[in-house]
Amino acid sequence: MSIIEAKNIYKVYNETKVPVNALNGVDLKIEEGEFTAIVGPSGSGKTTLLNILGGLDLPSKGDIFIEGTNLKDLSSRQLINFRLHNIGFVFQSYNLIPVLTAKENTEFILELQKVPKKERMQKALELLEAVGIADKVDHKPGQLSGGQQQRVAVARALASQPRFIIADEPTANLDSRSTNELLEIMAEMNRKYHSTFIFATHDQRVMDKAHRIVTIDDGKIIGDETFKGR
Amino acid sequence: MRTLIKIAWRNLWRNRRRTILTASAVVLALFLALIMRSMQFGSYEQMISAGVSQVGDLQVHDTGYQANQSIDRAFFYRKSMGKTLAGIQGITRVLPGLKTFSLSSYGKQTKGVLISGINPVLQNQQNHLSGKIIQGKYPTGDHNDVLLGDKLAEFLKMKVGDTLVLLGQGYRGITAYGIYKVSGIFHLPSLQMNSELVYMNLKAAQDFVYPYQSGLLTSLSVFLKDPAKLESKKKEIEHALDSDFEVISWKTMLSDILQTIKVDNISGQIMLLILYIIAAFGIFSTILMMTMEKRRQYAIMVSIGMERRRLVWVSIFETFIISIIGIIIGLLLASPVIYYLHFHPIPITGDMAKMYLEFNIEPVLPFSIKAHVFLSQTIIVLVLSLLSSLYPIIYLSRFNILNAFRH
Repeated sequence: MSIIEAKNIYKVYNETKVPVNALNGVDLKIEEGEFTAIVGPSGSGKTTLLNILGGLDLPSKGDIFIEGTNLKDLSSRQLINFRLHNIGFVFQSYNLIPVLTAKENTEFILELQKVPKKERMQKALELLEAVGIADKVDHKPGQLSGGQQQRVAVARALASQPRFIIADEPTANLDSRSTNELLEIMAEMNRKYHSTFIFATHDQRVMDKAHRIVTIDDGKIIGDETFKGR
Repeated sequence: MRTLIKIAWRNLWRNRRRTILTASAVVLALFLALIMRSMQFGSYEQMISAGVSQVGDLQVHDTGYQANQSIDRAFFYRKSMGKTLAGIQGITRVLPGLKTFSLSSYGKQTKGVLISGINPVLQNQQNHLSGKIIQGKYPTGDHNDVLLGDKLAEFLKMKVGDTLVLLGQGYRGITAYGIYKVSGIFHLPSLQMNSELVYMNLKAAQDFVYPYQSGLLTSLSVFLKDPAKLESKKKEIEHALDSDFEVISWKTMLSDILQTIKVDNISGQIMLLILYIIAAFGIFSTILMMTMEKRRQYAIMVSIGMERRRLVWVSIFETFIISIIGIIIGLLLASPVIYYLHFHPIPITGDMAKMYLEFNIEPVLPFSIKAHVFLSQTIIVLVLSLLSSLYPIIYLSRFNILNAFRH
C-alpha cells in the first residue's frame, strides 16, 4: 500500500471572489522510501500540492489518504496530532523556532511526542551529529548560517520518525556548497532510515538526486519519471 | 510545561524594549492606582478612626435610645454588666458615658449645650483629651469642674475659673440644674463640638440629671482589640446582655460618615476605571504587536504538531510574566512612597481643611498601608493584563497556518 494517495485533488483559492484554480485534478501515489521531487514552473501548484500532502491545507475537492487515513475526516486537533506523528517538514525559510537552540529545536518535536527527556536529548544530539553540526547544538537559529539552519530543520524533521518528510524548496536559499551537503545528508537519511522525502523544487541539483520526478503545470501532473539506480 | 514557560520567557526578551514598555504600562497603572486608592482609603480610615475614637466600636444603650436619644432612655449601670463585658475577650476598654442637653448661662449670655459626662482618666487614655486643653487644666479626680469648648467659652465670654450655670431637663422629668467651675478650655478639630460641648465628670453629670440614684448612663462605649471582629463581638455582647439593652455598631452610629465614604469611593472608582482603561489599551496594543510579530513562529509550531491550546499557554505565560514583572516593580516603587506618606501625611489647608474640621477630622491626608489596598489593586492589574491576552488566545485558536507563514 502507498504511504500517500492523492485522489482527484482540486484546490481553488478565493472561491467566492476571483477563483484561482491551483490544483486541477491531481492523482498521485507515493511509496515508502521514495526520494521524490515535484517540479514545475512558479505558480504551477507545487507548494499547494505539498501543503495538501502535508495536511497543512485541505483540498477543495478530492481525497488525501495517508496510509489509509483520509485527512478530510480528521478534526483540526486530530490533524495536528497526525502531523506530529506522521509528517516531517523542511521549509524554504528553515522555519526554526527562533528562541530555541539547535538542540532544543530538534528536541521540541520529541517533547511534543512526549518522549522522555533523556531519550530525546540523546536522539537530538545523534541527529544533529548526523547532519554535521554537532559543534553548534547550543546555537540559536540567528547564530547559524542558512545551510546550518536547514540542517537543523532536517534533523528536526527526522527526529519524530515521520512516515514521510515534506521539503518545500529546501535549497532555495542555500549556496552551492550548502546545497550539495544538505542533499547528501538527506540522501543519506533516505538510505539509512529509509525515510520518504517529497521535495518541491526548481533546483536541478535536487532533481539530479531524486529517484522520481513528478512534473506539474497549471495544477495538473504532466510528467512522472522514475530513475532507478540513483 | 517547562518548555512552554522557557519559550514564553525567551520570546519576551527577543524584543527587550517592547517588553520593558509593556511592563512599564503595568508599573504605571499599578503605581498610580496604589497611590490613588491608598490615599482614598487612608482618608476613609482616618474619618472612621476619628469617629470611632469618639463613639467606640460598639455602644450599649437602653433599648430604643439609638432611635430616640432622650435622657429618659438612660439606664442604671449594674455591676453585673461590667462583669459580663469583662468576660468577653477582645474588648480593650469600656467607657461609660452620659449625654444630655441643657441651657448654659454666664452673665448675660445663654446657649444650648451638649453635656458629656465622662470618666476623665479613661477618656484621656482613649482619645488623649488632655492634649486638647488650651487653657486651664485637665481634671483628674472626682469634682464638679467642667471643660468648655473654646468657641463656647468665647460666646459665653468665660475664662478658666469662672462659674457656669446649667439648667435643663433631668431624668424622669425632674429639673436639672447646677453651678460648675470652668477648669479648662479645649480645642477639638470640630467647630461644632467647640461651640456646644461641655465635658463634665461622669459623677457630676449623673448628679446633675438625677441626684437620687447613682450610676445613670446613656451609653457604654466598647472598644475592640480587633475591629474586624465587630459583627461577631456585637452578637456576643447582645447574647451576653439581657434584652433591655441594644448593642449598636459604629457603622450605625456613624452612618453619615459611611455614606460620605461610599459616595467618594464611587468617584474614586470611576477615576480608577479611566486609569485602568488607558493602561489596558497600552498593554493590549503591545500584546497585539507581539502576537502579530510572532505569527510565523506560531505557524511553525502548529505545523510541526504543537496543539493550539499549548500555544495559548505560551501566550498566557508571556502576558503573565510581563504582568508579574510590572507588578513587582510597581509595588517596589509605590510601597516606599505610600509608607512615607502614611507616616508623614500631607497637610490640607484652606476650605478643604475647614471641611475636615467640621467632620472632626485632622486636616491631613494619611495614606493607607492596609494589605487589602495593595492586594486588590495588584489583583485588578493582573486580571487586566491577563484579559489583554484574550486577543492572542482568540487569534491562536483560529489562525490559518498558511496565511501566518506568509508574514
